[in-house]
This record gives sequence, C-alpha cells and structure tokens, in this order.
Amino acid sequence: MVKKKCIAMLLAGGQGSRLNSLTKQLAKPAVPFGGKYRIIDFTLSNCTNSGIDTVGVLTQYQPLLLHSYIGIGSAWDLDRRNGGVTVLPPYSEASGVKWYEGTANAIYQNINYIEQYDPDYVLILSGDHIYKMNYAKMLGYHIEKGADVTISVIEVPWSEASRFGIMNTNEQMEIVEFEEKPVLPKNNLASMGIYIFNWPILREYLEIDNDNPHSSHDFGKDVIPLLLNEGKRLVAYPFKGYWKDVGTVKSLWEANMDLLNLESELNLFDHAWRIYSVNPNQPPQYIASHASVVNSLVNEGCVIEGSVEHSVVFQGVHIQKGAMVKDCVVMPDAIVGENVYIEKAIVPSALEIPAGTIIRPSLSGEEIILVTKEWLEQQRSETIEKG
Amino acid sequence: MNKMMLGVIDATTYMEPIHELAAHRSIAAVPFAGRYRLIDFVLSNMVNSGIESVAIFPKYQYRSLMDHLGSGKNWDLNRKRDGLFFFPSPDLHIPSPHLGAFQHFEQHIDYFLRSKQKYALICNSYTICNIDYQLVLQRHIANQCDITEVCHQGRSLEMFILETSLLLDLIANRVQTGYNSIVNVVRDPSHQLNICHYEHHGYVAVIDSVESYFRHSLELLHPEIWKQLFVKSRPIYTKVKDEPPTQYTASAVVKNSMIANGCVIEGHVENCIVFRGVKIGKGAVVKNSVIMQKTQIGERCELDHVIIDKDAKVENDVKIAGTERRPFVVRKGTVQGALMNR
Repeated sequence: MVKKKCIAMLLAGGQGSRLNSLTKQLAKPAVPFGGKYRIIDFTLSNCTNSGIDTVGVLTQYQPLLLHSYIGIGSAWDLDRRNGGVTVLPPYSEASGVKWYEGTANAIYQNINYIEQYDPDYVLILSGDHIYKMNYAKMLGYHIEKGADVTISVIEVPWSEASRFGIMNTNEQMEIVEFEEKPVLPKNNLASMGIYIFNWPILREYLEIDNDNPHSSHDFGKDVIPLLLNEGKRLVAYPFKGYWKDVGTVKSLWEANMDLLNLESELNLFDHAWRIYSVNPNQPPQYIASHASVVNSLVNEGCVIEGSVEHSVVFQGVHIQKGAMVKDCVVMPDAIVGENVYIEKAIVPSALEIPAGTIIRPSLSGEEIILVTKEWLEQQRSETIEKG
Repeated sequence: MNKMMLGVIDATTYMEPIHELAAHRSIAAVPFAGRYRLIDFVLSNMVNSGIESVAIFPKYQYRSLMDHLGSGKNWDLNRKRDGLFFFPSPDLHIPSPHLGAFQHFEQHIDYFLRSKQKYALICNSYTICNIDYQLVLQRHIANQCDITEVCHQGRSLEMFILETSLLLDLIANRVQTGYNSIVNVVRDPSHQLNICHYEHHGYVAVIDSVESYFRHSLELLHPEIWKQLFVKSRPIYTKVKDEPPTQYTASAVVKNSMIANGCVIEGHVENCIVFRGVKIGKGAVVKNSVIMQKTQIGERCELDHVIIDKDAKVENDVKIAGTERRPFVVRKGTVQGALMNR
C-alpha cells in the first residue's frame, strides 16, 4: 500500500434510537435528509472535498442498507485504486466474534486496516451530523499547533451547554479539562465528535484503553480524559458554520426546515462544496396545473398535484389532488392521498397516507409528528369509534 | 439459443431543420426532457433490453456526446467484457448516405468480427420511445425474418434487427449489390430478403427539426405521455450531475411543468420544461418554453414560446416571444439583454 498522510475513520454504527421508527430498519447515518441525501453523505462529501481519499466506515447496527448505499464509494468519488472507501463491520476471530463495544474499541479492532496505510494522522468522524467542513484546514491547524490531538469544537448557546461534552480551554486553545454534560458549564465550546490524532499516540492509547477492564472504550468518556491526565497536548479547533446533530425526530425535522431558509449557512447549491449522494435516477419532477409549491425543496421523480408549502419532498413522492402539505418532511416514494391535510410531520419512506387523513400537531403546539403505519391505523379506528 | 444482440447507434445524422440546436453538438447530444440527451433514450432501451455491447458511430461535432457518455458507467456499460464502444468516422469530407452507412461500419469491421452476439440492432439516435427490443427479437426469430424494421403508425422508426452474419455480408458485398446502407436494403423492393415490420404501440417522438423538438418537448407535460416514456421498471439513464433538489421560494408560481433538479424558481413558470440548474428570477413569467441547463433568467422577464439553450443568460426585464410553429431560439451561452429589444 502507498503511505497516506491522513486517513479518516468514520463511525457509522450508531442506532439513533431517539429517531424511533425511522431507525428500526436502518442505521442512523442512512436516514434520509434534505430531499435527496442520507445523513452520511455530508461526512463522506466533506472527506472527498477535503482531499481525504481513504475512509474506513465502521458499521454495526442494521448495516444492510448502509453497506449497499456506500457500495465501493463511487458516488463520492471514493472508488480509488489506493485507499478509497472500505466498509469495516465487526468480524470474528479464532477466539470468537467481537462486537464493537464503544467508539474507541471499534477503532482498536481495525488497527490493522489503519496500519496498511502507515498514516501520520488519523481523523475520527461520526456519520451522525449535518455540516460542511474542510478537514484539510483542521489538519493544518493540528500540525501548526504541534498538537497530539485536535478536537473540533463549536460554540453552543450557554443555556444548552449542559447537553454537550464541553471543552474547557486556555487562551492558546489548549484543552485543560473535558466535562461530559456538565450541570454547571464553565465554557460553551462543545465537542463535535471530530478528532485528529497523531497515529502513534492514538495507537498507544487505544492499546492502553483496551487493557483497562473498567473502561467503556469510548473516546469521549475514556480515551480523551486519559490523554488529558497523562499531560498530552490536546487542542481545540474552533469551527464556525452550520452544524447539527440530527439525533431526534424534532432536530431532524428542524435541520430539514433550516434548508428552506435562503440565508441558511448550509448552502446545498454551493458548487465549490457539493454534497454528493447516490443518484436515484428518476425523471424530472412534474408539477400539475392545479398544484402549488412554495418555500420548498422538491426532488426528482415527484408528482405534485396538491399544495406544498414550506416542506422538503424527497424523490418519487406523489402528492395527490387537493392535498395540503405544510411544514413537512416527506421521505422517498411516500404517497400523500387526495385531500390529505398534513402539518409539521415527517412522513417516512414509501408510506401511503390514505385520502382525507388529517394530521396536525397536537394542541401543545410543539410536537413534530412522525407518521407511522400503526399511527395511521390507530387514527382510523378512533375516527370510526367517534363516527 | 444465442439471443444476444449488439447495439449499434448511428449518430452521424445531421439535419438542417434542427441546426439551431445542433450547431455545436451532434443531434444525439441535444438536451431533452429536463435532464436527458436524445441518445439516452435509445441507449437506455438497449441496456434495459439486456444488450451489453453498444457501438456508437458518430461523425460530426461529437465532443459533447463523448463528454456525456464517458466510460458508459451511468448506463452500466463500463464492462471488462463488451460495454460501450466509440467509432468515429475518419471520412468527414464524405457525407453519410442514409442511416447505417456500410462504409462507416467497414472502417470498424473488427468490432463486428470479434463480437459473439448473433444479432445486431441498428438504431438512429433521435427517436424517443420506451421499447423492449427483446420482444422485437422474439418476433424476428419466430417469423424467420431476415430484417425486422420497427414502425409506429406506418412510419419507420429507423430501428432494424438482423443477424450479425447478414450484416457482415451486406457490408462486404456493398459494391456488388449497390446497397450502401441498411436503409437502402430495406427500401429496395427487388431484393430477396424477408423484411418484417414490428409495430411499436407506445408513445414515439422523432426529433428532426426545431419545430418537432419544441412540440414533442411540451407534449411531455401530458401525464398520459410522460407515463409512457418514464416507466419505473425500464428507467431512462443519463449522466449524473449531483445537483441538490429544486428550491421554490415564497414568490414561486409553477403550473403544469416538468422541472429538473438544482433549479431555483422565484418566478412564474407555466407549461414549461426546465432543465437542471436553471434560475428563474422574481417577477419573471415564463410560459410554453423549454429552458435548458444552467440558464439564468432575470427578474421581470416575459418569455413565451421560447427555447433557451444551455448556459444562456436572459437579463432583467427582457421580453421574448415566439410561436408554437416557430419558437424563438436563444443559442447556447449567449446573453439576451434588455437593450436588444429596443
């Protein structure tokens, strides 16, 4: 193998259980986002746009769709002779099957993969976030600062800081303390789960961590605190721009709605930093004579015969006559029947909403409805009871 | 039984009536239906019919065609065995006779000699339909035909199936027989061959002039027509562009239109075909028009019965109108300024 200066390891095994039924059949990084993408497209596109051409993707939970989606990485131009994408699921050894027991353990079990490329630096990423970032700039910063580890951080509102892993830094941006979800935060710089390690140091500490029976083998909980205790040079890299963890139904919906704001920092139309995805190969969208589409993103293969307002509509969706779709995310191949009224909801892939169904947020006014087949059946039986 | 076919696409045709759209590209590469080029339809039909070896015979202005097709990957034709072949004509000074010029085939005869497929399918590049050539071949074999010609309502679609060995004979003996193309053979009543006709019943559009281009483009806005062309089980493939979904702003009004990805629509669009990456400004009213890729239409423009070729720019407040029979064509890469209309 040809030596690589920096390779990326992308953690994509997460279940994303707070996305409820959306992640019943697929891993969180494979959840559809933004009208044509899946969440992992952002990280993979960032890699290719940053000139990182070697990416190991660690999968574990419900990997079928994710594996077939990634394929050999052609969609992101990562089908390379040297490097490219390699999908790394857990495997069995003579001693038995070893599941990935934590983020650090997943990397530990793939030391052999990393060693093939003899890298100077290893970039650890997660496939759960929506953002555009030039990792080459972060690597430049890491080298310039002479750091052992660089952790990308973003300023979060003080009121929300206790939900994140907070980095307490000095004036040189050196990390002096790491607090996971502090009750009384001393700083508002949250870890984005993006790390650059000097590979020899990472390798050494992965082995130390692996030998510790009390460790949960997690970067945030175990490895980073250990490195701090040992006096290693950990530096924070301040990132400015759009970044969102789409871990809940509400945040997934919000991040989709953010795309409809023309002033959003997450500009999908920027040709200099394209977000790539696997092409669904569908004809153009057809907007019928009586349809109306405003403030929305609509993808190929849709047939819009009703009204769409402030919504994100994925490929192959059919919105039938008289239907009103407002503040919604409608995932691929869903059918919204005639005269349906639906507001503030996520419609999952291929779901059919029967004609005349009315879906609107409960009176509390804040809930985002994740429509499911069971939910629709329950609504129908309640209507019948009332009727 | 060997039921494999070679796909042969004759992309040499040049037709004066479509010059305004084909001045700088071969007809095969004329953009159509929002995100395709004309050749995508015949090529996808071939691939969907199980054809794994496709030879394209271009002649003039084929840079954009080659750029579009690349390695054939988007059609699944980047293969170790068979795949996509490109055979340009070295005789630019000799005009091609009819479709399927034997002399042009002769110049690349090794392709036909090396191929193992028993049958060959010869097509033009500008006939739009969704057809299963396996059904044509089955009929060809069952009726013991020498050549089968695909027709639609009495009109030839310039699609021919014959045995590769017969094609080789016709190429080799063209001087003695006087037949210099496949069309010559089929049109001659005096030959001894059994010529069959296969009627294709679905939608067909033959694009041979600006007028027919325009009429057939806008015809796609009838759902009963696009449903015949875009069939889920037999998709039309094209070059992938990685454009985001199309953004409709608060001021957008869109009626009866086909719109590709990557557009930003702020104006009024009615009865239009809009290609990938088009921007339509606020207050603009665009009706009965075909707007090709990456074109920008300024604010408050009024366009009716217009074809705008790719990469063009229409400045603010421009008014252009053509007619159904004579659409106004804005050439590729040009700028239409408001001053020009005064």
